[in-house]
Amino acid sequence: MAGVVIENLSTKKLMGIVVLLLLIQIACFLVGGLIAPSPTSAHTHLATKCIDPAISLQKAFVPHGPNACSKVSTFAEATEKNIEADWIVFSIMMPHRPNRMDRSFQYMLGVLSLDIVYKEDNEMGDEPELTILVEMMYNNDDNAQGEWKKMYSINETRKLNCEFFHQKSPEAEGYSYDCEPIPLFELGTVHHKYYLLNIRLPVWEVDPDTQEVVRELNTNLGAVQELSVVEIHQNGGFTLVWLTLKTALFPLVILAMIWFWKRIVQLARPPVLLERTILALAITISILNLPLEWLTFFHDMPYMLLLSDIRQGACYAMLFSFWIIFVGEHMMDQQERNRLRVYWRQVGSMTLGCMCLFVFDVVERGVQLTNPFYSLWNTETGRRLAMIFVVLAGICAFLYTIFLIFMVYGVFKNISMKRAALPHMVAARRLHYEGLIYRFRFFMIFTLICAVMTAIFFIFSQINEGNWKWGEDKHNIQYSSAFFTGVYGMWNVYVLAVLMLYAPSHKNKPTLQNGDTSEGSQVEFEMSTNVSSTAPSTSAALNPSGAASQAGTSEVYQLLGKVAND
Amino acid sequence: MQTTLMHVILTSLFFLHTCVICGSASKWLAIFNMQALGISTIKSPDNCEELPGLVNKQIQICKRNLEVMDSVSLGANLAIMECQTQFQNRRWNCSTVDGSVFGQVLDNGTREAAFVNAISAAGVAHAVTRGCSSGELEKCGCDRTVGGNSADGFVWAGCSDNVAYGVQFSQTFVDAMERKTRATLERRLMNLHNNEAGRRTIEDNMRMECKCHGVSGSCEMKTCWKSMPTFGDIGQVLKEKFDGATEVQSLKIGSRQQLVPRNADFKPHTSSDLVYLVPSPDFCEEDLKGSLGTHGRRCNKTSKAIDGCELMCCGRGFNTHIEEVIERCSCKFHWCCYVKCRNCHRTVEVHTCK
Repeated sequence: MAGVVIENLSTKKLMGIVVLLLLIQIACFLVGGLIAPSPTSAHTHLATKCIDPAISLQKAFVPHGPNACSKVSTFAEATEKNIEADWIVFSIMMPHRPNRMDRSFQYMLGVLSLDIVYKEDNEMGDEPELTILVEMMYNNDDNAQGEWKKMYSINETRKLNCEFFHQKSPEAEGYSYDCEPIPLFELGTVHHKYYLLNIRLPVWEVDPDTQEVVRELNTNLGAVQELSVVEIHQNGGFTLVWLTLKTALFPLVILAMIWFWKRIVQLARPPVLLERTILALAITISILNLPLEWLTFFHDMPYMLLLSDIRQGACYAMLFSFWIIFVGEHMMDQQERNRLRVYWRQVGSMTLGCMCLFVFDVVERGVQLTNPFYSLWNTETGRRLAMIFVVLAGICAFLYTIFLIFMVYGVFKNISMKRAALPHMVAARRLHYEGLIYRFRFFMIFTLICAVMTAIFFIFSQINEGNWKWGEDKHNIQYSSAFFTGVYGMWNVYVLAVLMLYAPSHKNKPTLQNGDTSEGSQVEFEMSTNVSSTAPSTSAALNPSGAASQAGTSEVYQLLGKVAND
Repeated sequence: MQTTLMHVILTSLFFLHTCVICGSASKWLAIFNMQALGISTIKSPDNCEELPGLVNKQIQICKRNLEVMDSVSLGANLAIMECQTQFQNRRWNCSTVDGSVFGQVLDNGTREAAFVNAISAAGVAHAVTRGCSSGELEKCGCDRTVGGNSADGFVWAGCSDNVAYGVQFSQTFVDAMERKTRATLERRLMNLHNNEAGRRTIEDNMRMECKCHGVSGSCEMKTCWKSMPTFGDIGQVLKEKFDGATEVQSLKIGSRQQLVPRNADFKPHTSSDLVYLVPSPDFCEEDLKGSLGTHGRRCNKTSKAIDGCELMCCGRGFNTHIEEVIERCSCKFHWCCYVKCRNCHRTVEVHTCK
């Protein structure tokens, strides 16, 4: 028993596995590109201007239908009728009639945008701040007939970023400011059929105890004409395809993982670090694969968004750690290996980066569980805090990349050195190194292809999404969906391949000249546990922990020792 | 303005049946004022018959799309208002005159006719899109009969953009006029081109806005949508196109008649440029062709541009008188509406053309 599967696999079998994995990969792409619709869709909702002279926060103001509120169509009309600004309730019902929301939408985001025009006597002030009173309600009756139930009632302040591209003159009256859309809410669940937003822009801040006016609000917004909310959700079709893909991949990876671990257990030695890492990688990707989201069809689970983020983050972290450890364990001349401690710098920087993003995510999404209108980015301190997290994560990612590149460079340098020495080596030794080199190069190429593909697809889908395409609805290939399912499938295939190809092989090494198979296993074992050069014996193989920490003699000495033994 | 509106009310009834045969393509714009005919909203197919200025085909479309017609009327209104805003300082100021809304000015294929066609087609597209976004209309982007990828329905794939529906409806409704008029083929081609140019202006000026919502708010997941500019912005762009419009003639190229620039040295127009067939009159004097003349129009004494008294009055000179105006001043605003204003008295010099 020696080496890993990939070294001992015949070209024919290897090709078989590669073709199989490639087929899975292509299937993932096609499912996304041809069956799934685009991952998300956005619907614009222009608010209806309801009138509420009583300024009561209890009532629900519905834009249309039998219970429609009394409304005005323009603010000119409102001014004519002596309607005051704080009587106005912007009412938005989601989705548009005659549709209803579906639980498969998974999440729902709202983006607020204001149409503000330039008026000479009502100009927008400097650094305008928007204060809004939002009430969010839901309804599950058919056609939203029944009573609206309150979900959230929230007072929020947002910064408004607007620009005016014309010369400010009487002629420019009526031209609009160019305002950035403002993130409004993020709901981690779409459990109800209809949602209603009632938004007010109050003009007074009233002290709740004394009922006295504390200060004026929304003073320098300028002449607001319209308010609209863009609602974004994941398409039901995409959710179904996505969850089906997850459900299909989950058992595949689990099976491969069990097979892999069985092989490890059958070995006479305890599992080495690399093998444990591969197992951990398989476990994290299985956790990601686990199609928990099916439950959202039955239960209201607003924390699913946070959970998905954590699962995905953990998977990234594990993948990055795996690369470091894999490369590190192939550093042929390094003395100390097979311990996580050796990689503390690399893994540490990566863990710190991931922790930053984790804390950020938990704060953001965590608070959103109770207040979906909350975002760290909304307040000055929050923005700074968020920036610190993101910058810190960026630095860690940079450090990690440097470490990884450095290590890969080290291994390649090592390989070329070993290459030169290969012809002079004893057959067993040569096979060992050739195996190592082959294994490493295969892995490097494979990883590189996956990473480059991910980057290419990502850039492509970004360009595709951000580009102006008129009549985009007409073509049938959904690139964004293909990107998501394809890349997701690719990393699953990656893990599958690692599990299958880097599992310990049952086969014996090709017969050596002296026919000594035990030496083959001996050499293989050396690779993974760094057996001391002076004692390349079977006893050391059975007791690796004792041998592992022995201070280093170089491979040349090991080689000499071997020659002497021979 | 007030008197001309009254005029419309009186004469539109008269023109209801006769204007089907006349040349201008904007007769249907008369529905901007359907309230004046006692139709507040279009509820039943019978209302469609009562609407002024529609050709038979448009009445059929009206009957099939009752809920959209209020938006069409709103769009016509929007177009006329915007036209008047954009042209308030020019000799032809887009004033409405009779049942054909702008009078006979548009009977010839002038720049003005081109502009009116473009802005009215754009007005309908804009108003219908808005009607969709506000939830007032129920078909829109989710309607399977109008293009789009929504064949699988709202739950599976969401709806396609509302503006696609608005533009499509404008195309069906506004262009229906052209297929029924007795105008020359050349004129019909011009009208169709300008209608399309108006709608193109909306499409081309849609703003792309995006939101990132991936893991930890990263751009791994990004959703983009188009937001429609205000109609004032559309009007401004169309006014620029008016100034840069191309004079064309129709030539038979291959088996089809096509519009090509009259001056071969000019760059060929694109599908979003305005085209016209005959140069505009100077609009100085009232004439039978529909020009109202500039007698009595206000002008700006200091300006050297078209709103200046020199050009506006066509060299006839101007009268000056002092007027006292009362206007609102030092108003206090609460974002939408003013709370209180003072009334200010002001004396102004008013110049009017002789």
